Amino acid sequence: MKLDGKIIRRVVTVSIGASALATALSASAYPFSKEELAEQEAALLSAVDKGYHLWHGSNPAMTTNGLACGNCHPDAAAANPQTFPKYVPMFGKVVPFREMVNWCILNPQAGKALDVNGEDMTAMEAYAFYLHRSKPIEPGLAARQTAPIVVDSGTGYPRKPTGIGVDK
Amino acid sequence: MADIEDLSRRRFLGITGKLGLSTLVAQAVGIKLGMVDIVSAQTGKAAVTPFRFAIISDAHLYSEPGHKFDAQLEQAVAQVNAMDPLPDFVLFGGDVAQNGTEDQLVKGQKILSKLKMPLKVIPGEHDWYLDMGTAWRGLFGDETWSFDHKGVHFIGMNGILVEDFWTPAGMSPKERMTVMEMLESPIPGPWGVHAKQLEWLKKDVEKLRPDTPIVVFTHGPLWDYYPRWNFQTKEAPEIREILSKFAHVMSFHGHVHQTVFNKIGNMTSVGALSTSWPWPYPPVTKPFPESQMNRVDPSIATDGMGTQFVDLKGDGFGIYQHVPFEEGVLTDFLQKGVKV
Repeated sequence: MKLDGKIIRRVVTVSIGASALATALSASAYPFSKEELAEQEAALLSAVDKGYHLWHGSNPAMTTNGLACGNCHPDAAAANPQTFPKYVPMFGKVVPFREMVNWCILNPQAGKALDVNGEDMTAMEAYAFYLHRSKPIEPGLAARQTAPIVVDSGTGYPRKPTGIGVDK
Repeated sequence: MADIEDLSRRRFLGITGKLGLSTLVAQAVGIKLGMVDIVSAQTGKAAVTPFRFAIISDAHLYSEPGHKFDAQLEQAVAQVNAMDPLPDFVLFGGDVAQNGTEDQLVKGQKILSKLKMPLKVIPGEHDWYLDMGTAWRGLFGDETWSFDHKGVHFIGMNGILVEDFWTPAGMSPKERMTVMEMLESPIPGPWGVHAKQLEWLKKDVEKLRPDTPIVVFTHGPLWDYYPRWNFQTKEAPEIREILSKFAHVMSFHGHVHQTVFNKIGNMTSVGALSTSWPWPYPPVTKPFPESQMNRVDPSIATDGMGTQFVDLKGDGFGIYQHVPFEEGVLTDFLQKGVKV
């Protein structure tokens, strides 16, 4: 495209205008207000927290032999959520992470599977993915264990500490 | 301290009593002497009679009758009993039980009693925090021990002691146990052996010759692998310092449920496979990445679990060999055995 001086000036003017508008919207957190964003964050962390407790045995129906997800997957390690969907030999097909969660509940834990579209499953997924935030999405990866985030203390997500021991 | 060689030592003292002087000296100074110690005293160089011992770890037995972990510990015992040559003895690396109840510990002792050879045990956190070790001690004895075997000095310590978080919080024993059962619990903080055992360790080794090979056995590693999961022992630097006078120290541990090797100064360190389930590898770079086993297949119920043995040679060095229940999990590095 051939640009003369007039067109260039117009493009620059429009760009500056768009940039200023974007900055202004950013300050007001467009398309959501700060309050709305805070509510959304709180809702997510509530789901993550529910998932954390489910992960560690809060629903007795998920096991008949005492095992919880956390037995084999501390801090959701080796759950590899970001590698799904992938082909899983036990299914003989490509499955999403939720199906793998139910496989673990049904087999190693000998428990009752969760509703794959229910709130508990969403919470489990929220926890597992939150502990893998910023990790590369690698659908199909099956050859190696991936790593969750490094958790120095607490539970790996913002929450009110218990005030007990070193959890302060 | 309990001594796995009590019988053989008494027999030895009876025999050498006919020789007179060596027995008198041994009894007078109160030093536990074995045949190899006498040989090395004469030659001026420590000598080890080659032998094998085995390690079983982390059974995590539940109370439910016929739980699958019962059969997995049975499998480990059968695996060790079938080793050729037979190990002279077995070390158990902690966590017989999952919830620390007496019935779980009794069940574990019953299964482990089927071993053909003597057993020495250290506690894990799952064994301890329901009654602070009362049932465990009643079944397995002292948690801090040492003994000499064919020229090697073995040390076992209770490495899962944490600061008291339960009293200020008014927790019940069951609540305390529940906190400790969770690997990534945010509450307990780092565990260790604490001051009393450090003092014991200093005294235990102060009269040993520096060329005596040392095996030290704790539930967690004696280096900072991943403190978040207590893949560590708080006083590891002090322990390594106390043992720094020795030419060769071998640290073996449970708790990690995985293969992992490290070498710090004069100390080699190897982690044991569990008989219950494999832990994931934590999100840190390992000093020896080649010691990481292959990814475990979740469709194979006992993949990534097993036992291990150590063959110690005449020079006090040895080979640590993991023996998985299922094939395929060991890398080439691990299949050859880890030099310790």
